[in-house]
Amino acid sequence: MTTATLETPIQAKPAKQKVMLVEGNEAAALGVALARPDMVAVYPITPQSSLVEHVAKLIADGKMDADIVDAEGEHSVLSVLQGGALAGARTYTATCGPGLAFMFEPYFRTSGMRLPIVMSIVTRDGITPQSVWGGHQDAMTVREVGWVQVYCETVQEVLDTTIMAFKIAEHHDVMLPVNICLDGNYLSYGTSRVELPNQEDVDAFMGAKDVNWHVALDPLRPMAVDPLTGGSGGKGPSTFVRYRKGQCKGMQNSLRVIEEIHEEWAQRFGRRFAPLVEEYRLDGADYAIMTLGSMTGAAKDAIDEARDAGRKVGLIKIKTFSPFPIDALLKSFAKIQALGVVDRSVGFRWNCGPMYQETMGVLYRLGRHIPSMSFIGGLAGADITVGHFHRVIEATEKLLSNPAPIEPVWLNEKD
Amino acid sequence: MEQTKYLVVGSSHAALEAVTAIRMHDPDGSLTLLTRDPHLPYSPTVLPYVVSGRSAPDAIFLRDEKFFARQKVQLKRGTALKALHAERNAAELADGSEIAYEKILLATGAAPAIPPIPGLDQVSYHVLRTLDDATKLNAAIKNSKQAVVLGAGLVGMHAAENLVKAGASVTIVEMAKQLTDGYFDAIAAGLIEKAFTDNGARILTGSRVVKLAPSSTGATLTLENGTTLEADLLLVATGVKPNMEYLAGSRVEHDRGILVSDTMQTSVANVWSAGDCAQAKGFYTDAKIMNAILPDATEQGRIAGMAMAEDPGLKKYPGGVPLNTYHFFGRHAISVGSSKVPEGGEMVTRFDEATGRYLKAIFSADNRLTGIYGVNEFFDGGVMCQLILRRIDLSPVKERFLANPLAVGRELMSKTWR
Amino acid sequence: MGMFGGAYNTIAFDANKCDGCGDCMTACATAKTGTVDQSRSRIQIVGSEAEGFELALCRQCADPKCVTVCPAAALTKNYANGVIDWNADKCVDCLLCTVGCAYAGIALDAGTGHVAKCDTCDGAPACVPACPHDALTYVTTSRIYNEVGDWEDLFAPGLAGCQGCNTELLMRHTLRRVGPETVLATPPGCVPGMGSVGFNGTTGTKIPVFHPLLTNTAAMLAGVKRQYKRVGRDVTALAIAGDGGASDVGFQSLSGAAERNEQILFMVVDNEGYMNTGMQRSSCTPYGAWTSTTPIGKGPGNIPSQGKTQDAKNLPLIMVNHRCEYVATASTAYMEDLYDKLDKAIQASKRGFAYLHVYSPCTTGWRFPTDQNMEVARKAVETNFVMLWEYNPTDGLHFTKPVDDPLPVTEYLKAMGRFRHLSPDQISHIQGKVVENLAFVKQMAHREAV
Repeated sequence: MTTATLETPIQAKPAKQKVMLVEGNEAAALGVALARPDMVAVYPITPQSSLVEHVAKLIADGKMDADIVDAEGEHSVLSVLQGGALAGARTYTATCGPGLAFMFEPYFRTSGMRLPIVMSIVTRDGITPQSVWGGHQDAMTVREVGWVQVYCETVQEVLDTTIMAFKIAEHHDVMLPVNICLDGNYLSYGTSRVELPNQEDVDAFMGAKDVNWHVALDPLRPMAVDPLTGGSGGKGPSTFVRYRKGQCKGMQNSLRVIEEIHEEWAQRFGRRFAPLVEEYRLDGADYAIMTLGSMTGAAKDAIDEARDAGRKVGLIKIKTFSPFPIDALLKSFAKIQALGVVDRSVGFRWNCGPMYQETMGVLYRLGRHIPSMSFIGGLAGADITVGHFHRVIEATEKLLSNPAPIEPVWLNEKD
Repeated sequence: MEQTKYLVVGSSHAALEAVTAIRMHDPDGSLTLLTRDPHLPYSPTVLPYVVSGRSAPDAIFLRDEKFFARQKVQLKRGTALKALHAERNAAELADGSEIAYEKILLATGAAPAIPPIPGLDQVSYHVLRTLDDATKLNAAIKNSKQAVVLGAGLVGMHAAENLVKAGASVTIVEMAKQLTDGYFDAIAAGLIEKAFTDNGARILTGSRVVKLAPSSTGATLTLENGTTLEADLLLVATGVKPNMEYLAGSRVEHDRGILVSDTMQTSVANVWSAGDCAQAKGFYTDAKIMNAILPDATEQGRIAGMAMAEDPGLKKYPGGVPLNTYHFFGRHAISVGSSKVPEGGEMVTRFDEATGRYLKAIFSADNRLTGIYGVNEFFDGGVMCQLILRRIDLSPVKERFLANPLAVGRELMSKTWR
Repeated sequence: MGMFGGAYNTIAFDANKCDGCGDCMTACATAKTGTVDQSRSRIQIVGSEAEGFELALCRQCADPKCVTVCPAAALTKNYANGVIDWNADKCVDCLLCTVGCAYAGIALDAGTGHVAKCDTCDGAPACVPACPHDALTYVTTSRIYNEVGDWEDLFAPGLAGCQGCNTELLMRHTLRRVGPETVLATPPGCVPGMGSVGFNGTTGTKIPVFHPLLTNTAAMLAGVKRQYKRVGRDVTALAIAGDGGASDVGFQSLSGAAERNEQILFMVVDNEGYMNTGMQRSSCTPYGAWTSTTPIGKGPGNIPSQGKTQDAKNLPLIMVNHRCEYVATASTAYMEDLYDKLDKAIQASKRGFAYLHVYSPCTTGWRFPTDQNMEVARKAVETNFVMLWEYNPTDGLHFTKPVDDPLPVTEYLKAMGRFRHLSPDQISHIQGKVVENLAFVKQMAHREAV
């Protein structure tokens, strides 16, 4: 495992990269093109649409050599890619919200077949109430199905992570599908300066494609893909357990692989992103707030202001949400006495944010009790401002002396 | 020592059917077919037609070399079986060599039975059992003016007809009271006799030759009643006897023929027998009979082959049913089954003297057909045989059947075993 | 081919259609003897109006007794065409063959004094077209079986299908025909239920096979095919799906793939319901049929439940409206027709979407005896309950087995238990729909091709 931090110097001198001004969806499309998939399947949905439009245009312009399948819906989009992957194709698509919901049947199945399909989720809040705006509700709803899910903070990170996602998915120790989550509206349409890696450098980074070495629909290697497995007797139970346990092992392996690949990326391209968990001004902090995705920018500004004001607060950002980076979080939690967790979606069963819910399990492993609380904000496209984060910081600071409240704080309730 | 899994001795119908049956179940087991005849396989039944010139001697072969090659059969022609050493699974050949077998079929057929008439060994005479006999006789017929045929069985009758047609003066001498005794009844025999006498042949039934002596033309025959006959061509066709001399010293039980079970197995392990040399049970009685006819030879050969190859589809031999067809001077006689009227049974005959059409049908007490005979009365022999073997109840159709056995037989066939 | 050769074309006789007119015998006598003497015909119709008519004719046995008893080598089985040839030059008129044959297939021709037997007129038997009632047919499916016999059976030996199911037949024949360069999709239903995909790590076929979702067969297969096309490999993408997965929940992906003209051969085995899971209704279930979700009962408010209350969706016609490369309906009762269509569908699938809809009676779900599958399949066609046709965009739609004189639909309905409860009104509804469907398809057939 790498021990590099964001501050570790990068030894390599990367080639000069083209600088562009692009929105997040276009950055994702550029990343996809650089990763050279064989097959993309598309179906438009807000706020993902411009992403697949960019992909289609790249192919139409001859800047990307992939078979594009304009499927009749998200269900078929992912199904086409499953077939393509089983025949050896590197595959990509993007969706969100209701599209992801409609896709759920094949989505549920992708990780079980260990297909390294890469899919962007341009995150969108769930229906109903009817909404077309951003939020993490869609991705959070499917977090328990065996896909690797990483959340990006910036447009550059979207571009770079999209490329890295293919390499993570196809790593022989992982062989799992990967979602790159980029916040609908904020990252999808947010325009930003990016550096575009050179194709030959990306090719060298990616290495040889080897997508269906483990399972294939290939007359040269005939096999039954996904026969009925399990049942109450015979070799059914043990066979099924072997597959399921293998999936879980692949998920756990991905934590190491994600770190290694992020480090390789840093060395090759000169940009380092925290692979699992980022600590921001956590050293010397008594307490911390925890974020996910694009909200982190505003949160960091608030932390800076709070630190300037003498508050001993730091920030913990999760990049890799699935698998949940338990060990990395435990290291961060070891430094603090209280924690406020900001979610951009809802966990209905625990009446809190889903990230908070997951975090509570990690806190139990910490071996000492630290108070924590849940904040829910940014639903359906709502902004989480620096001001909101100051409220979060203040409320979290109070935990140091007062017991944690059971009820979550709804940040945009009175906006 | 040469070794083979299956050794089939003989090369006529029984032997060939056994080969087919073995190969259906065991395509690869080593198989050797041994025949003392130098020729490719042929049927003794066709020989009268070789005699008459109707069949070319080179066009009668039932199988060619290619067949044996294709079926992976080692064919040894002109090689007679001299002795069977069943106790050590070995066959000794005429040249003294031996073949070790796992299973052997004795389908060695029969040879002419030469009657013990004084002087016969002093004269030159023909027999008809092999192709070489037939070609010799064919040549002799052309020069014969005065021929005598001893025996009025089907072989003798066929030859006599050929001699008549070749222009010879022909006399047929038969010990029994009628021609074709044992094949056809008195009325049929009468029709046959009439056809022969109409064509100039002389028939001496109930006659016995007591002495033969060489003469300037060939031979002089003296009959029991003192009459003498001159013959420039003498054919001895007084019947056949199975070839089984090679059994001497073996423990294979034999009577008039080699005794076999209803799967054609002899009394000794790994030894089967079929065809004219075998004595198997009859259809009408469990007693073992000689039923030296071609269709039975094929049936027995098939069963023996299946038994040897251990084919699970093997069905037991139902027993021999006599079946004969006889074609004389453009007319046909067919006999199927037994001429004996069973107890409580019935024999129905229909005879039209003007046309010479004759039908005889024999039924059991419960209206099963047991035999049917016809001269110029056409019915399907194979269908009739099935009616007998299947013991089909003819009560509902008996009258119609007798009126038209051809059509009603076919109807029953279509309804019953189609 | 084994000891007895392969399968051969043959003259088939349907006793139920024969009225004993004797036209076949006249035709045979004319062709073979130059006379109209029926007694000299080699095909003999026997029997009576009262007893029914039967046939005596050479069956061209595989293991012919007449040949084995011929002493003159005059009879031989011709392994090229299956006919038992009679050689006049070798025959000695002994008639032993007539004793050997148990079927009166070879008999004396009094006109010549020789035996005579059917030689199938060199493959164009005169008797068959002479029959005014179609009681005689010349069955030429042997080609298929001979060819297929040499192809590898790509389905596992042994399977878990119901007794009497024709789907095994379809599976084995289809896989043999498409060959090993194939990827097979068998979505949930009877086909994987029979074991095609295997269980717990085993497989049921010798080719790559997978179990798509019930909903995404066409889409997954499209992905497989596209990737092979991309890398330049000629791989056939074949789906064998049930009607439920195709017409109901899987219809969207089917329609989408057809619209995109994906190069797929999509075969639907239409047993008119979800038979594998316990015989539930699908949109292909016909009106009035009992299924486990359209059961028979006294109903609420004294309105009895009498089976399905809607007519079946006509999926193949819907597929025609996608203007696929090829669309056809087929029946296992007409294998030659099916094979012809399978061949065309395979070729079409190299250009675009090919759809083959096979009507497949279900002995378990339709409730008929296990030995009646082909009969039920045949009756469906003979009553026009289903119609056999094919379509391609160039030639349009045309019937391949037109039934101009259909049996009443009751002949089909009464063959199985699932329609046993039908009221006269329901039967007349079904008969009316048969007429309407026929008219509808005929109208499409009459349209000029584009």
